Amino acid sequence: MLELYHWEPNGYFLKPLIALEEKQVPFVSHWFDPTAFEQYGSEFPHSVEIALNLDREGPVLRHDGVQICGSYFMLEYIAEALPGLELYAADPVQRYTARAWGQRLAAIGADVCLLGSVRYLQPRFARGSAAHVESAVAKIEPLERRLAWRALLDGGYDERALAAVRDRLGFALQRIEAALVASHWLAGPTYSVADIDAFALIWTLPELVPELVNARSTPHILLFLERMHARSAVQRALGYSRSGRPQEAFVPGAEPSRWG
Amino acid sequence: MLKLYHWEPNANSGKPMLALAEKGVEYESHYLDLLGFDQHRPEYLAVNPDGTIPALVHEDRVFTESTPMMEYIDEAFAGPALRPKDPADRWRMRWWMRFFDAYFAPSLSMIGWSVFVGPSARQKDPKELAAAIERIPLPSRRVAWRKALFNEFSPDELEESRRRVQFAIGVLEAHLAGSPWMVGESYSLGDINGFNLAYALPLSQPDKCNDQTTPHIMEWLRRIYERPATRQTWAKGRTRLAARIDILERA
Ligand SMILES: N[C@@H](CCC(=O)N[C@@H](CS)C(=O)NCC(=O)O)C(=O)O
Repeated sequence: MLELYHWEPNGYFLKPLIALEEKQVPFVSHWFDPTAFEQYGSEFPHSVEIALNLDREGPVLRHDGVQICGSYFMLEYIAEALPGLELYAADPVQRYTARAWGQRLAAIGADVCLLGSVRYLQPRFARGSAAHVESAVAKIEPLERRLAWRALLDGGYDERALAAVRDRLGFALQRIEAALVASHWLAGPTYSVADIDAFALIWTLPELVPELVNARSTPHILLFLERMHARSAVQRALGYSRSGRPQEAFVPGAEPSRWG
Repeated sequence: MLKLYHWEPNANSGKPMLALAEKGVEYESHYLDLLGFDQHRPEYLAVNPDGTIPALVHEDRVFTESTPMMEYIDEAFAGPALRPKDPADRWRMRWWMRFFDAYFAPSLSMIGWSVFVGPSARQKDPKELAAAIERIPLPSRRVAWRKALFNEFSPDELEESRRRVQFAIGVLEAHLAGSPWMVGESYSLGDINGFNLAYALPLSQPDKCNDQTTPHIMEWLRRIYERPATRQTWAKGRTRLAARIDILERA
């Protein structure tokens, strides 16, 4: 039995939706709302790995009792364990390249989640966070996962900090741009988990940071996004949205690097 | 020909060194002195323009991310398999490697750079140091070096790193209490990754990692230390950094 616990199709939650739709394997979808803290409730799967998951708020895949979390490694798991379209090339060099992107994209994802949460989620909390939000956040473990929510509740990011995040993101996006000049797909000649990973994390950027992703600065990224949108699996994955605006669905993600 | 550019068998450099030794793969070793900024010299930037260590060169391809590099080594070369076959176990191995790489290592490394790398590099002429920083290609590394050289770590961030190190040691001890290796019954890249991070903990964090508080970590470290590949790899060390491994000698 295959079950996916997920939210709106964006960011970490979008990755396994695309991969499962590419594979065309049937699965049970459990939609949950992380902004209502449902992932801390008793209905949601729990384990050490899920609690300490460095993506923090993200999807969980349950496959015959095994609980998989961590969105890039979930993509690798789907690629390795499930039948259907190959999402990893047979060539070890291409697989290395995909995994190396997985690492770099984790850093990009952290910055995107932060900028998206500040833009779309923080204003909701600013309108007055109800007592139930305060009490739900107070119970979150481990500490750094709780503090990520706290920072949003308290409006903890000033413009200077956000400008530094945008600078760093701009640098990282230029590396994606450069890679896409050389090749249609990130990890080499064939479509792979790296493309799913990248798309899920950056497809919202033309709207979120138009100063960084636009026809002048990143023409190849825009073409890549079009190529991805043209895939029917991507369309089906985006179709899981209940709000109709998945590009505004953000929660705190991985922590931007504290060191080196 | 296979070439590996590396520093001491330690942290990111030690990961491919130990993986290659376990596979029994010979390589041409290029030692770079990290404290002497060898990694930012033009000769090396021609290999890895990011100026980070390690870099593996195989059939004219360059690999620069140490954890995916270890998976490449396991896939591209013969020798004992260093990853479990079962996809769920592989996932678990990768989960732990990310916990090491993105949570445990940065905190430990921040402490290490504040007490060791910064003070060691500071011995040099300040003019030379300023020029060395200018040559660093990655903005994030430039920030890191500046912090280490001018000791710009705040007490709060060092305290937070110490808290995380303590927490991560607890998580690792609890895990190893139920499993001889990071993943199940066999030695894997998860152990290689963890060992490179943790081998000197009994020396650098003696109050947090010792036979009384963390007996399972201690036993796991000693078992890895006793493997021929580990001996062979740490023998390539040239400084007191790698020599710290002696702490794992059984009494
Ligand atoms: N993501 C790379 C990071 C490599 C890295 O940052 N290496 C450190 C040494 S452990 C380095 O090169 N530091 C020297 C410098 O930044 O100048 C990996 O995992 O291999």
